Amino acid sequence: MLSVTVNGEEQDAPEAGRNLLSFLRFDLGLTGSKYGCGEGLCGACTVLVDGQPLRACMATVGSVVGGSITTIEGLAQDGDLHPVQQAFIDESAMQCGYCIPGFIMTAAGLLGRDASPSSAQIREALAENMCRCGTYMRIQRAVERASGQLGGSA
Amino acid sequence: MIEQAKNGGGLIIVGEVAMGFPPPRTSYARAAYGNTEPNTQSATWLRIGQDGSVTAYAGKVEYGQGIRSGLAMEVADELRLPLDAVEVVLGDTDRTPWDMGTFGSQSTARAGLQLRKAAATAREALLELAADHLDLPVADLTCANGQVASVQDSGHSVTYGDLLSEKTIERDLVEDIELTPESKFTVMGTDALRIDAIDQVTGKATYSQDIIVENMLYAAVLRRPSVDAKLLDLDTTAAEHMPGVQQVVRDNHLIAVLAETDEQAERSSATLQAQWEEQEDRSSQLDLPELLKKSGGDPFTVQEAGSLEEGFREADELLEATYYIPYVSTVPMEPRAAVARWDGDKLTVWAGTQRPFGLRTELAGRFEIDESNVRVIAPEIGGGFGSKSLYPTAHEAARLARVAGRPVRVAHTRGEEMQWGTVRPAALIEVKSGFKSDGTLVAWQFDAYHATNERPFIGRRGSDTPYTTPHVKVTTYSSQSPLRVGSYRSLGGAVNHFAREVHMDEIAEATGIDPVELRLRNLREPRFRRVLESAADAFGWEAKQPPSKRGVGVAIGLDVGSYIATCVELGVQGAEVRVERVTAALDCGLTVNPEGAKNQTEGGIVMGMGTALYEAVDFQAGTVLTAGFARYRVPRINNAPQIETVLVGDPETPSTGAGEPGIVPIAAAISNAVFDLTGKRQRELPIQRHLR
Repeated sequence: MLSVTVNGEEQDAPEAGRNLLSFLRFDLGLTGSKYGCGEGLCGACTVLVDGQPLRACMATVGSVVGGSITTIEGLAQDGDLHPVQQAFIDESAMQCGYCIPGFIMTAAGLLGRDASPSSAQIREALAENMCRCGTYMRIQRAVERASGQLGGSA
Repeated sequence: MIEQAKNGGGLIIVGEVAMGFPPPRTSYARAAYGNTEPNTQSATWLRIGQDGSVTAYAGKVEYGQGIRSGLAMEVADELRLPLDAVEVVLGDTDRTPWDMGTFGSQSTARAGLQLRKAAATAREALLELAADHLDLPVADLTCANGQVASVQDSGHSVTYGDLLSEKTIERDLVEDIELTPESKFTVMGTDALRIDAIDQVTGKATYSQDIIVENMLYAAVLRRPSVDAKLLDLDTTAAEHMPGVQQVVRDNHLIAVLAETDEQAERSSATLQAQWEEQEDRSSQLDLPELLKKSGGDPFTVQEAGSLEEGFREADELLEATYYIPYVSTVPMEPRAAVARWDGDKLTVWAGTQRPFGLRTELAGRFEIDESNVRVIAPEIGGGFGSKSLYPTAHEAARLARVAGRPVRVAHTRGEEMQWGTVRPAALIEVKSGFKSDGTLVAWQFDAYHATNERPFIGRRGSDTPYTTPHVKVTTYSSQSPLRVGSYRSLGGAVNHFAREVHMDEIAEATGIDPVELRLRNLREPRFRRVLESAADAFGWEAKQPPSKRGVGVAIGLDVGSYIATCVELGVQGAEVRVERVTAALDCGLTVNPEGAKNQTEGGIVMGMGTALYEAVDFQAGTVLTAGFARYRVPRINNAPQIETVLVGDPETPSTGAGEPGIVPIAAAISNAVFDLTGKRQRELPIQRHLR
């Protein structure tokens, strides 16, 4: 039996070829990672594998065996929200909220690599994600806030 | 009567569900869906539990417009409570008052007002109870922070919970009750954080795509290759023998594989061998402009005054132009999904629809059961922008679950959503104007051909001109649509505004008058003048003769009773124009939730920017070619402008919608700015295609 680590817990996986997003959502019930396009183009399904953002809809369970997966449900530590999560609340960076877990995971991955990215680097990283409600300006501010450079230069 | 909402007793406020329906504006629902009749007269709007907890009920749904927070703010203020003390239950046909549907920006204007009255009624009832309890006259009492206290001695008090302990009291909502005046708001009008934000950022918010029920089967539905394709032959043998397949259902035109997992259903449906007969005369996008004009029927006079002939004769100058707006896709981030479960003759459906009560009526009719045996629950909705009023996915799930004898989940892929969801009607609009050399309008002829099929009302919205013109005739036509069309943010409002506001700019160009000044010369309505002057002022608009090469543009709009003016500034980025900066002034009357109104306006601007620059549904022979993000471009964060929204509504004016006005003038403002920058007029959308 294959097993993968999800949010710190070992989980049995049914088969190596199982789609990672389907595994997380339907087998584990972790529905915070969203299906948006199934083509890796919208970012709604973004999870972290060993800290790096990955489009779960484009991956199989077999491809992440041995890696540590973090989903939106596992981002808060000991009941404390991740700074990116808190910043999204503080900036009201949401409308329907469907894309928000993916944006937060992409941003958390970015800040994990580089604690103080420039505004342009933030825009570049987040351009992989889509928000149809158009809350981009707020999302940008939220990630700037989380990186401690609110109002920083581009 | 909604009994579920009463469980647990406490103070229950019961009121009418119809709220004066159907009012003129929402005749849209009657025309579109026919479900304007509630099946109950009254329902529970508000309950204060025996423990003092406050729950508000509304049949509206939350799909990003922030009404859960907005409605909670209204209730909190009337009950003198902090925002987080109010829970809002939405869109559940067993728990909430009947509602026609969440569209037309009516939530704050109607449901919100009803909840304010319910909460004010509850406050009065609590004061009466406290008068007995504290042995003081009502006049000497005041409500604050979940307590009723003596005005003289705030220590002499009782909590709402203590007043209602072990009691069950039902009161009728008082229609003419005195509401809290704006000067005493402590929650409304403030920039409060959303009450559902925590669930959104932790992944707890549950959408219809996320509904998983015990023993559920996953469906993959066989879709036609093109709009009118007919099935000739089907071989399901291979699919039936694939792992995990429970059965292949063929129920009339609905064919689906049901399997134990989503992937098993998808894989086996790919092995279905279907032969299709496709229609011969299937049109393509290139035929559309001609088809719109040729097939335009059902002329509807939206506005008429004076005589055009006379007007054109009086004019110093005439101008004629044709504008073309292609189909666009709504593209909510959440594709439609539904789960259906039968318990005997009782049906429960989870579906992210904008019309849970309408869907209940439809399902009861389809299965010939009483409406009381159907429960529709609309979970959080991952965007809709009008398109999720129609929800065929729920019908499919209910039909398949009936056949399978197990709960069934039907979820659109992105491709299915964009191939089989509806699109905003394309339109061809001809405008002929006559004006004096000082820019004063004397004649205005506006003929709009919208591909609305049987939904002509979509094309009428926003087609009338607000500019004072003695001789005017505005006519809309309903043209054939090769693709399935449906609602979209502002319906045809943004489409009609595009033609009108670009044409106004062409008059500014012809007369050499600054575009803001030209509009002011023709506008009498003070609310229009105020938004235009406010937007120009906040933007830092400098009057110049167009094209000024600065890349600035302006347009105004009126939608759902709200006035808006928008100024934009463009830059150039490689082979593209980039919208750098947008300033919008919005007058939606009393703004209950300023942060929400700004967020909505920004959203409308970004969405409208997509329609202006990038978006068009391409199709060939009845098949959508742009059914996926690889070929359908929508704005991303690196395209998004800086947006400033100025709220200029008069708090004494009743609230009107804020969800739709933002999109109405933006495409014209961008087109006008492209002209200002390049000197080339853009009468066809999307502009980016014509710049290359």
